[in-house]
Amino acid sequence: MKFQKILIANRGEIAVRIIRACRELGISTVAVYSEADRDSLHVRLADEAYCVGPTLSKDSYLNLTNLMSVATLTECDAVHPGYGFLAENADFAEICESCNITFIGPSPDAINRMGDKSEAKRTMLEAGVPVIPGSDGIVEDLDEAVKIARGIGYPVIIKATAGGGGKGIRLAEDEESLVKQITNAQQEAEKAFGNGGVYLEKYLTGMKHVEVQIIADRHGNAVHLGERDCSVQRRRQKLVEEAPCPVLSPELRAEMGAAAVRAAQAVNYSGAGTLEFLLGQDGQFYFMEMNTRIQVEHPVTEMVTGVDLIQEMIHVAEGNPLSFTQEEVKINGWSIECRVNAEDPERNFMPSPGKIGFYLPPGGPGVRVDSGAYPGYTISPYYDSMIAKLIVWAPTREEAIAKMKRALDEFAIEGIHTTIPFHMRLLSHETFVRGDFDIKFLEENEV
Amino acid sequence: MFKLNEIKELIQLLDETSVQEVEIENEGSRLVIRKPGKAETVYVQAPTAAPVMQQASQPAAAPQAAPTAPAATAAPEVDPTLHTIASPMVGTFYRSPSPEAGSFTGVGEKVTHKSVVCIIEAMKLMNELEAEVNGTIVEVLAENGQLVEYGQPLFLVKPE
Repeated sequence: MKFQKILIANRGEIAVRIIRACRELGISTVAVYSEADRDSLHVRLADEAYCVGPTLSKDSYLNLTNLMSVATLTECDAVHPGYGFLAENADFAEICESCNITFIGPSPDAINRMGDKSEAKRTMLEAGVPVIPGSDGIVEDLDEAVKIARGIGYPVIIKATAGGGGKGIRLAEDEESLVKQITNAQQEAEKAFGNGGVYLEKYLTGMKHVEVQIIADRHGNAVHLGERDCSVQRRRQKLVEEAPCPVLSPELRAEMGAAAVRAAQAVNYSGAGTLEFLLGQDGQFYFMEMNTRIQVEHPVTEMVTGVDLIQEMIHVAEGNPLSFTQEEVKINGWSIECRVNAEDPERNFMPSPGKIGFYLPPGGPGVRVDSGAYPGYTISPYYDSMIAKLIVWAPTREEAIAKMKRALDEFAIEGIHTTIPFHMRLLSHETFVRGDFDIKFLEENEV
Repeated sequence: MFKLNEIKELIQLLDETSVQEVEIENEGSRLVIRKPGKAETVYVQAPTAAPVMQQASQPAAAPQAAPTAPAATAAPEVDPTLHTIASPMVGTFYRSPSPEAGSFTGVGEKVTHKSVVCIIEAMKLMNELEAEVNGTIVEVLAENGQLVEYGQPLFLVKPE
């Protein structure tokens, strides 16, 4: 099966990314947009574009009916959901199938099994993938929670089973804190995710967030494309990512990669996916969650492997076997990505939406910019604050850092505040340069 | 020779009609005014001795290449007193309840708040659209069977 036309059910830089991949493959593109996004770049680049609702995401980008309406009436063969929005919505995947439109991603079943975080952990345990010590599934009541927490040892994390992406997480330092927070956590989860189930995990310190990119076809083949270190986080949102991870040995890489592939096969996965692990200083790694979609930071993996992940997603969704074997995957050089957001780092990263005046992205060898911005474009306050992803590649980590600093310095964005000054400082920070920073790095250090 | 204010008046007159082109010859002078829709050019040619005066007025706002959504976005100015009925969803626009039946409404017809003016079909569900104003239909802006997007103008209504 060859796709003739794909609908991109997303916006911003990822919509542009997907349109670019389709263009190169000779596939027609259909963009959708909310009224607020009328002037977006993805709307201009697509072959066709349709307004699907007013500003609010729930009425536009999450408007299943309008999206399917566009997809069917424009005779799309497939839908690419990008990340966020409906990317991990099993219902959406199912509706696409019932309309005879291919959802470019895994099956609704795989999405469900990995979307329920506590169920995912159970699946991983059965697949022989190490997991963080914690409760066996959802905690039913307070007594059970207290008992389990005593067994694991404090501090303990309370996690929403329907959460993900850093949301729905609370820390309990002791029993008193646990008792106080657990009911709140359940209520919050119910409201935010429609599912009040929470589970407990041991709170580990000195951990790095190391995730493994996998891609699988619909014929049972799954390969991993190496890892990404995403430990530079602020309030659990990633700011900088790099591939490979500075502290990983080839043996550990192979072990984590194999675990990731086992995990994917355990749920008959197809498409691109990411296994997130916590890596301890002792080299012990633990499964955290699986994201059944393409991720924001996928470019760094593309830079070090030479694989176009979006095109490969389309390739496997068409029913083809993977274009390469595990042996053919080679990690070459070093790549770093900085997320340039419309936020003021001097004012606690306060959002800074507004109209971009002068705009000049950096260039030169080994520099890539994934963005939906352009001079005169307005970053609206309704969606995320991302302006651009700045990605570099160089033969070594040291050179990649130097290149990123050079590129950041050239990157001119006028009219709004950006996190570029923050990234400049970060890239010079001793701990970052050493490479052994953990996920508490930004919390515990002034940058 | 045409005087400047005469030429101005002529252009203004032309603007108020749907006439596309006017050519006038008078006392050896030839004036051509042409409206191709996107640009207006005015040529004035005087006989031999006098220097040839050529005036080209600026082309109307340059359209952009975007071959995107249905032409609705490039609509000419709408009379502000008229009410626009816009589509609240993405779907197929139907003017009648079924292929054999007559249209719900049309130009010159009266509508009330609750009058059904059209059907938007989305995902096999027929959604009846109500006028939501009392008035008279002045223009129908979409074609039967056309894909309409969210916010696309469908009818112009002169409110009571």
